[in-house]
Amino acid sequence: MQSKTLRDILVLLTIGAALFAGGYFLVREISKSDYDLSYEVSMEQEEELGNLFKDLIWDKYPTVKENYADTALQQIAKRLVNALDSTQYRYQFTIIKSKEINAFTIPGGNIYVFSGLLELAETPEEVAAVLAHEIGHAEKRHVVTRLINEMSLSAVIAVLSGGDPSVLTQMLQSVISNRFSRENEDEADKFALQLLEDAHISPKSMAKFFQKLNDKNLDYNEDLEFMMTHPHSNKRIDRARKYKTRNNFSAEPFSIDWEKVQKSLNAE
Amino acid sequence: MEFYPLQQPDEIAEREKEDAMGAYLMMFAAVAIGLPLPIINLIASIIYYFINRKKSRFIHFHCVQALLTQIPTTVINWVAVIWGVTILVSDQYEATEMFWAYVVFAGVCTLLYFIVSIVAAYKARQGKMYYFLVFGPWAYQIAYRVRPTDNMQTSEPMNKPPF
Repeated sequence: MQSKTLRDILVLLTIGAALFAGGYFLVREISKSDYDLSYEVSMEQEEELGNLFKDLIWDKYPTVKENYADTALQQIAKRLVNALDSTQYRYQFTIIKSKEINAFTIPGGNIYVFSGLLELAETPEEVAAVLAHEIGHAEKRHVVTRLINEMSLSAVIAVLSGGDPSVLTQMLQSVISNRFSRENEDEADKFALQLLEDAHISPKSMAKFFQKLNDKNLDYNEDLEFMMTHPHSNKRIDRARKYKTRNNFSAEPFSIDWEKVQKSLNAE
Repeated sequence: MEFYPLQQPDEIAEREKEDAMGAYLMMFAAVAIGLPLPIINLIASIIYYFINRKKSRFIHFHCVQALLTQIPTTVINWVAVIWGVTILVSDQYEATEMFWAYVVFAGVCTLLYFIVSIVAAYKARQGKMYYFLVFGPWAYQIAYRVRPTDNMQTSEPMNKPPF
């Protein structure tokens, strides 16, 4: 009788374990399916889409080129891109002249930072944290997935084949004021923390900048777009603060005169 | 260890069959009130058990089986509820894939439990024994075991015990 009871308990536990494993597999498949959507658009198509957006941004926003701030941004970006294991993008980083505190990624690895955000940052490391986060969105193809979700795959394909230009404008608006899902934000954060570490930049800078945005949000103003599109809960700040780096990690400071960066932005 | 003989379906009064069936159906009534706090089901089963356990061994068995199976189901659901609430109110925890896997697991367990409970209720209404894995034999021992203080009356066992 005892052996039968033991057998029954084992059967019950096996069923339970199988159910849990099945549940885990199901959840993994569901969370993967969102990412898989991006495969509907090839890397070439994404680059093409990015070029269309770039033209539109060029017309719409004044950009900051060939001054000290731009040089500094390229230096920060280069450190991050070099730390990537591999990438399918040819990253481009551009400063948009605007008081808005925002940064966004468009398809094809093109990342834009508003000068307002650079003015708010107190160190190059804080800007690196924002860029690493945006690179995370690009590498995980969140922008394309989001566009397909919001506008449909056929709309994206139609734009690529020279469809209605107003749809392209609508898409750009969606990209700039993009509110990513919490899962996407978390994924980009985790990617960014790892990338910062790999680039020998202290991941704590992310917590510092996010905290700054959170504090500033208490006194909300409409220029704080990055805050609205990237809500920084205490949980995200905490995660960045508590991120454990490798034992042999050492941060390498940037040779950038940050005051000079800010002055060059104001001089524009 | 000795056991009382099992009654055959035609030896069990209709009222007994209904009361035995009620042990399982009570849980469904409680689900409607209890969700999302699954503790209500357990409380309902405990109350039902204490009211009906002395009516007959057949009822006692089904009440115990319903009650015993309520315990793991309640624990599984409570873990899901507490885990979910912790994620909602705390900044330290987040809804991981593991959490969602657990929610799926708890949901499937509850669904399976509903199904076997319906089958058990149906069998009880017919005056038959129905043994859940592990809990069935356990409930049988509790309801049908002859205790030293009992004054046993023997008769021919025909309704089969679980082992």
